[in-house]
Amino acid sequence: MKAPVKRKPMKINNLLPAFITRHVLFALIIGGVAGIGFILFLTEFDHFTSSEEFCTTCHSMELAAEPYRNSPHYKPASGVRASCGDCHVSEGVFAATWDHFIGTKDLIRQLFGENYDDPVVNALHLPEAAFAAREWFKKRDSATCKRCHVKEAIFGERPDTQQIHLEDAKEKSCIECHYNLVHRHVPDKKTFKREAWNSMIEEEFGLEKGTAKKLLGK
Amino acid sequence: MKPSRQTSFSTLIIIGSLLSMLLFSTTVFAAKVTLDPESWGSEEGKACIDCHSKSSAGLTHQWKNSAHAQANVNCLDCHQAYEDDVDAIEHEGSVIATIVSPKDCGRCHETELKQQQGSVHTQALSIIENRMPALAEHFGSPTINDAGCAKCHGSKVLVRGDGTLDPATWPNSGIGRINPDGSVGSCSACHGRHQFSKAQAREPAACVYCHSGPDSPDKEIYATSKHGMMYEAHKGEMNMDSDQWVAGKDYSAAPTCVTCHMGAAGKMKSNHDVGMRDSWNLNAVVSEQQYLVIFEDGSKRELSTSDPLPRKGESISKLDGSMGKVKAVASPKRRRQAMTSVCLECHSKGFANNAMQQFDNVVELFNEKYGKPAQAIMQELYSEKVLTPLPFDEPVEITYWKLWHNSGTLARHAAAMTSPSMTWKGMNDVGSDFYGKFLGQVRDAAGKERGDALIKKHVNDSEHHDWLNHPGKANPILGFGKGKNEGESESEGAGEEKANED
Repeated sequence: MKAPVKRKPMKINNLLPAFITRHVLFALIIGGVAGIGFILFLTEFDHFTSSEEFCTTCHSMELAAEPYRNSPHYKPASGVRASCGDCHVSEGVFAATWDHFIGTKDLIRQLFGENYDDPVVNALHLPEAAFAAREWFKKRDSATCKRCHVKEAIFGERPDTQQIHLEDAKEKSCIECHYNLVHRHVPDKKTFKREAWNSMIEEEFGLEKGTAKKLLGK
Repeated sequence: MKPSRQTSFSTLIIIGSLLSMLLFSTTVFAAKVTLDPESWGSEEGKACIDCHSKSSAGLTHQWKNSAHAQANVNCLDCHQAYEDDVDAIEHEGSVIATIVSPKDCGRCHETELKQQQGSVHTQALSIIENRMPALAEHFGSPTINDAGCAKCHGSKVLVRGDGTLDPATWPNSGIGRINPDGSVGSCSACHGRHQFSKAQAREPAACVYCHSGPDSPDKEIYATSKHGMMYEAHKGEMNMDSDQWVAGKDYSAAPTCVTCHMGAAGKMKSNHDVGMRDSWNLNAVVSEQQYLVIFEDGSKRELSTSDPLPRKGESISKLDGSMGKVKAVASPKRRRQAMTSVCLECHSKGFANNAMQQFDNVVELFNEKYGKPAQAIMQELYSEKVLTPLPFDEPVEITYWKLWHNSGTLARHAAAMTSPSMTWKGMNDVGSDFYGKFLGQVRDAAGKERGDALIKKHVNDSEHHDWLNHPGKANPILGFGKGKNEGESESEGAGEEKANED
């Protein structure tokens, strides 16, 4: 009969490299849990800060939300409502966080910039905001649209709608054709005419001619 | 007074130049496009077709059947815009304009544009812009103006600050439309887009889209004229698709509106100035014969024979208020000659001249019997402040308006286009409204004494209304002299009436 092999006692330290001391291990566990917690926090944070409720805590955003609430993205036949962040914040926790980080410039402007809460100031600056947003969509190849919309699945009410999307719009990105869907109508940057826009806003708010220029010059 | 030698010589020159202008000025309908074919067939525009064959198959199909498509003129050749254009929009990567104005069409169709500019059609809005709201908005609201009046007269298209077209002013294909690019008119008023078929524009339907209804009843008139009768019967023989369409040569079955008002006939070329051959202004309280003044810059205006006759080289005000140098003046007689020359393709000179004489007589009758007295009475009522300056708030104003603007127009236009039933209907309506309503309403407004005095001065004392001064003169038309008046029994008279009713 063979003598029993004497086993080494199971000691955790023996399984790990020597530099992972007990303290390091604790730090790793705490760090790991904190990390997971942070990611979860970011996810929740991004989720919350993407909501209409959060965005419209700034009054200026309430002005952007008004037309949105009358748009098919707010009142779709399907019941699938797109919130602010669904379109304006990228997918994925890191990209979303980055977008929010960049977005703080809007917050800074809201706090220290012009009075965007004033509907006139807001409307006068709207075109530049629209151009920037369109640029953002273009750069991302309309990625946020595609979260919900699949080109191949656009059947439409007329048979031609599907055909157009599969053939004519094959190489195109959503934003190239579809803009002015949700917010106030702003012409394309190429054909935008500042003076005409100013006159329209002045007329709309019953302001004296030249007020818009003064407001923008501030 | 005998005109001086110099005057008669210059008159001769004017007449000569106008004669040549009217007869040989411009080419036939399919005026040759002189623009280099390299100038159209936009590469970028070819890309529109695929998508639009699906998204708006109807209009693309119309275009595919057009002469434009055959000549490789595509969407962008007409719809292309510059970024700076007031109404430019971005569309699928291209900069375009929704509205294709006469200026756009005129890039190729120069001759037609030149003829159209300054024609009475282009003034359809500007002439009545100030007056239109009174009728449209008192009887309706601005809504009626947008959906009714302006659809024919034309809208002043408004591009909003956000680049969209104001829905009150667009869609609109009114012939006097004022376009965002400053040009006036709308080719698609007559030439249905996007096929732009010659045949379609030659049809009376192209005109009666607007020339119908209470104040421009030409559809009803043409339909009840010999010309309309012949057209109905021989529609198939009109050769409407022909490139060249000269009356008496390419077709002879019947004249359409186009034939007489702008078509080629014999040696006379077609012309897109549709009022050129009209010698009368028939849409006025009192019709006057009209000179056509042509300025050096090509613009035109009409002047009544009661205005001083402008001379060649003289500077007079143009329709837009600016001054212009007179290049030529066409007298009403010349304009009548031009119109009559169309008649001669089918009728003898005597026949045509007599028909014109009958027409002129009706116009003069309307002027003298109704237009002038009604106008004089209204002017006195206004100057005596019997009526408020506000139009249409007194019944007599509405009657007066209908008298010349509706019934009077019907009678005069019908006489011009030889519809006996509509000539009579028009004059009958004028007469019944004048005697049956207008005179009574004048008395109501001015009071019996003042009203009677006005009516005596302007009506009873005129030979045209002398019949009013003989109340004892009997006529059986209304039954006078029958029944009681003849001493017959009441029951017999009543029985007769009853029998008539049955």
